[in-house]
Amino acid sequence: MTALDNYIAPTSLEQAVEQLQELGEVTILAGGTDLMPQANAGRVKFKRTLMNIRRIPELRGITREGDEIRIGALATISEIMTHPLIREYLPLLVTVGDHFASSQIRNAGTLGGNVCNASPAGDTLVPLLVLGASVELASMLDDKLFRRSMPLPEFFVGPGKTRLAPAELLAAVRIPVPPKGFVARFHKFGTRPALDISAISIGISGVLDKGTLSQVRVAFGAVGPTPVCGAATEEALEGKKLDAATIAAAAVAARDEVHPISDVRASDWYRKEMIHNMTKRILEDVSASH
Amino acid sequence: MPETIQRDSLIGKRITKLDAPEKASGKTRYIQDLDVQGQLYGKILRSSRVHAKIKRIDTSKAKALPGVHAVITAADVPYQRPIGVAKDHFPLKTDRVRSTRDEIAAVAAESEAIAEAALKLIEVEYEDLPILADPYDSLKPGAPLIHPEPHGASAKHDHLKQAQGIAYLGKPDNVAMTFDYAQGDVAAGERESDVVFEDTFTLHYVTHCCMGVSGIIAEFDSSGNLLLYSNTQVPFLHKREFAEILSMDPARIRIIQPPIGGGFGSKLDIYPFEPICVYLAKATGRPVKLVFTREEEFLASPTRQPVILTLRSGCKKDGTLTFRTVNTLHDNGAYTSWGATTPFVMMQTISSLYRVPHCLYHTKAVYTNNPYAGSFRGYGNLQATFAVEQHMDMMAEAIGMDPLDFRMKNAQDPGEVTPQGMHFKSCGLKECLTTAAEMSGYREKFKINLANRDKPGHIKRGIGMASMLHVGGGAKIYPSDGCGTILKMDDFGSVTLITGASEIGQGSETVLAQLVCEELGLPLSAVRVVNNDTEITPWDVGVHASRTTFIAGNSAIGAAKKARSKILAAAATQAGLNADDLDLRGSHIVEAKSGTVVMSLSKLLRQLHFNDKAELVMTSFYYEPPSRHQDKHFKGDVSAAYAWATQVVEVEVDTDTGIVKMLKVTGAHDVGRVLNRLGIEGQIEGGIVMGQGYALTEELMVENGIVRNPGFRDYKLVTAPEIPEMDVRFIETMDGEGPQGAKGVGEAPAICIAAATANAIHNATGVRIMALPFTPEKVYRALHAAKKEAA
Repeated sequence: MTALDNYIAPTSLEQAVEQLQELGEVTILAGGTDLMPQANAGRVKFKRTLMNIRRIPELRGITREGDEIRIGALATISEIMTHPLIREYLPLLVTVGDHFASSQIRNAGTLGGNVCNASPAGDTLVPLLVLGASVELASMLDDKLFRRSMPLPEFFVGPGKTRLAPAELLAAVRIPVPPKGFVARFHKFGTRPALDISAISIGISGVLDKGTLSQVRVAFGAVGPTPVCGAATEEALEGKKLDAATIAAAAVAARDEVHPISDVRASDWYRKEMIHNMTKRILEDVSASH
Repeated sequence: MPETIQRDSLIGKRITKLDAPEKASGKTRYIQDLDVQGQLYGKILRSSRVHAKIKRIDTSKAKALPGVHAVITAADVPYQRPIGVAKDHFPLKTDRVRSTRDEIAAVAAESEAIAEAALKLIEVEYEDLPILADPYDSLKPGAPLIHPEPHGASAKHDHLKQAQGIAYLGKPDNVAMTFDYAQGDVAAGERESDVVFEDTFTLHYVTHCCMGVSGIIAEFDSSGNLLLYSNTQVPFLHKREFAEILSMDPARIRIIQPPIGGGFGSKLDIYPFEPICVYLAKATGRPVKLVFTREEEFLASPTRQPVILTLRSGCKKDGTLTFRTVNTLHDNGAYTSWGATTPFVMMQTISSLYRVPHCLYHTKAVYTNNPYAGSFRGYGNLQATFAVEQHMDMMAEAIGMDPLDFRMKNAQDPGEVTPQGMHFKSCGLKECLTTAAEMSGYREKFKINLANRDKPGHIKRGIGMASMLHVGGGAKIYPSDGCGTILKMDDFGSVTLITGASEIGQGSETVLAQLVCEELGLPLSAVRVVNNDTEITPWDVGVHASRTTFIAGNSAIGAAKKARSKILAAAATQAGLNADDLDLRGSHIVEAKSGTVVMSLSKLLRQLHFNDKAELVMTSFYYEPPSRHQDKHFKGDVSAAYAWATQVVEVEVDTDTGIVKMLKVTGAHDVGRVLNRLGIEGQIEGGIVMGQGYALTEELMVENGIVRNPGFRDYKLVTAPEIPEMDVRFIETMDGEGPQGAKGVGEAPAICIAAATANAIHNATGVRIMALPFTPEKVYRALHAAKKEAA
């Protein structure tokens, strides 16, 4: 039996963060696709208040604001996959959605939830990292609604742990509109093609100009306590001609800079091997298709 | 009324299962959906230790929780008796726990949530004992004993108790069961051999994953009669066993089976939750419903038998098989269920799938602190076939013979009586082999793949085959392998078919109805099947050994033939014709030659019913197949018919990842005869996917006695996009004993897949893997090791 003292469903962002500040002990419910299984399995304990944020209009919608695409925290994976702005500017996220759980989960699960759940294997996190995303965090400051922005790499602390303050709510994810020549790839590697949790995942992006990569971003999932950026791999690629030697060096750099663990899904050794082999495969694919 | 009716048949047609509309529309009421007035909810506290002495149990806090009606431990049920195949298992554990599934206490409460909360209030103090997690360790001298004999147990009184099934006195070692079989002289066989292989094959834990989790409702009436709503596959055997373990008169136990959400063998034994639910009903005087959670289903329902199998086999240069020697170690877990008896089936494949003059076979099932295995579709045959069919490919390669030709040379023929005593009255193995090979283009693809093996590129294609032999006409395991039928006809020409055979999703009620229609010339809509209540249905030995179509089918035909004679005799008298010249077609009595209608069936039935010598058309029939018990050397013709199949698996192996993609399965199945084409296709396709899961993805990971993946997130069932293309052909050998020529098929389709996949991976990569499952990491490691060795 779960003893919930209180259930609230605020209808504005301001009201929500006000109540957060006031009540302190609050569990946030968005899509519920992570929260409910975790609660049922006893891995997450409900706090005294359950806050349903699904009635907050400011958390919805996908819009372009200047040079950024703003995706409201409540945007579901299905909405993201079908939205014209995403399809035009951030097609990588459409691919990501395609490998994300099942249709039922994609219809309910939200981007904000996937980010706040902060699983090292969270399917949207590696792609968001290589898209240069930041998070928009809302709270009350001096009795006023206050928003701050944080680059995504700083947001993750550990499995299920983020820099979100206790009285803070993730309002949106912001992604810069990619520059000309931008290429991005995401590879989710699991042991089956559907309904799987990645054994590893890799994201690579950059600007490709005459066979040379620049502004390279690399990220890996399920190889550490958080999704991680691949600085050494980025360095191996930055400003280099994307030829066989560069690809080989980048694949080795990738393998050497990750420190995965062994668990029921894969051993550390196999994870490193797959980081190597799949980094190579992705880069060969980029090289071949441009 | 039509003037003439020509003969029509439902046999071999595509018939929608009778229960399909209810199931597809979600209206079927499974045990989860059943509620009994006044029922309480039962929950079980399981061990948090793998192997430990129970020092103290305190249930006082749980008992004090409002809404809790009973909290019981072994101390509360001094009358409990051991259950299982070896009667080595007390439902509620008395002095020690031997695995993490072990039941320590149980609660009956007004809701599941209260029962759950009460479990958390039960305090248990343990004293850990050393863990036996590896069956090899269990055999070492000085190994801790899983079932030690209690001190001073030599008293005659205690042994009498054990003999009466009241106690289990333990064993001086960890050996739970052994089987030994010999035919010919393997040493002589080895001397004749040009090629000899010896390898050890390792078969893992998988579990049934029935969509419907285990559950039971137990209710006593005011006279002390016990009603069980149970998902059992063997209601009549369970009625008897429940009576024994509850010290009750069997006449006072009634079992009703609600529609069962999958069995696959898992519901062939009594498990602790069932008597525990009865104890709770007894303790509270209320009906108690106990349904597993999915996690509990993974932890506390049986597995397929894990086996370590060492096979030594040989052949001559000309391809003649010479001998086989097999030693197996079966991990028995902490208690003995049907898994320990799988060697009974395994030895049939080892001795008789192909002609082998000399065989020696030793098996040992040993106690550990791991989960225990039960019966599971195929019953040891997947394990035996995995080893035997890999060695067939290896020997063929060693003597430079095509794997198909090698198998053809040693394949059984109709009429063969094997050294083990099996008599193959019908046998389509050679036709299965050639048909599956031709349909799939096996010979050509095998050679092309070999030629492409060392070419660049990370995707390699492979093709592999395997064949199987399985009982298809019942299996003489109990003193009787029979099934009874009662058939009654109403005034309107409709039939109620009351059969002992249970429906567990395999489609038996549809096939039985078809067989009755065939005899009585009725449409399918005229038949109702009653098959789920021990108070009503005649005796049957249960759903196992792919026996239902064959045994219950013959029984239904027997009852229908009697009704047919009765009807035709009455019609002949009325019409002044000879009964032999009449037939039943389209619910009418007709002249057999011309099809001219004599009268409608319903009219005849009413005339029989409403006259001064009133007669009802009711018949009963009991069918016992012409099979024989094995003798003490395990020799005998255990089944009235045997099923055969060859399956060819095509795979793509990604050498960068180890991912094996199953592209296509081609199957040729000797099924005797197709009765319901739609039903048999469903059986074969479902079996192939179950075999695919066993081969590629499914594994219950047990580490130091603890199940690490008790959920569908990390226990990987095959999902829709992984399912291969399937091309299946039926070889109709028209078995002389079979109902309309049919043989059993339920288990057959799952048996070959893992073996054929192993052969396909070898064809693709040159790497042979002798341990299941072929998960990406395992395959990648094997490829990596082979590459290193080559370099």
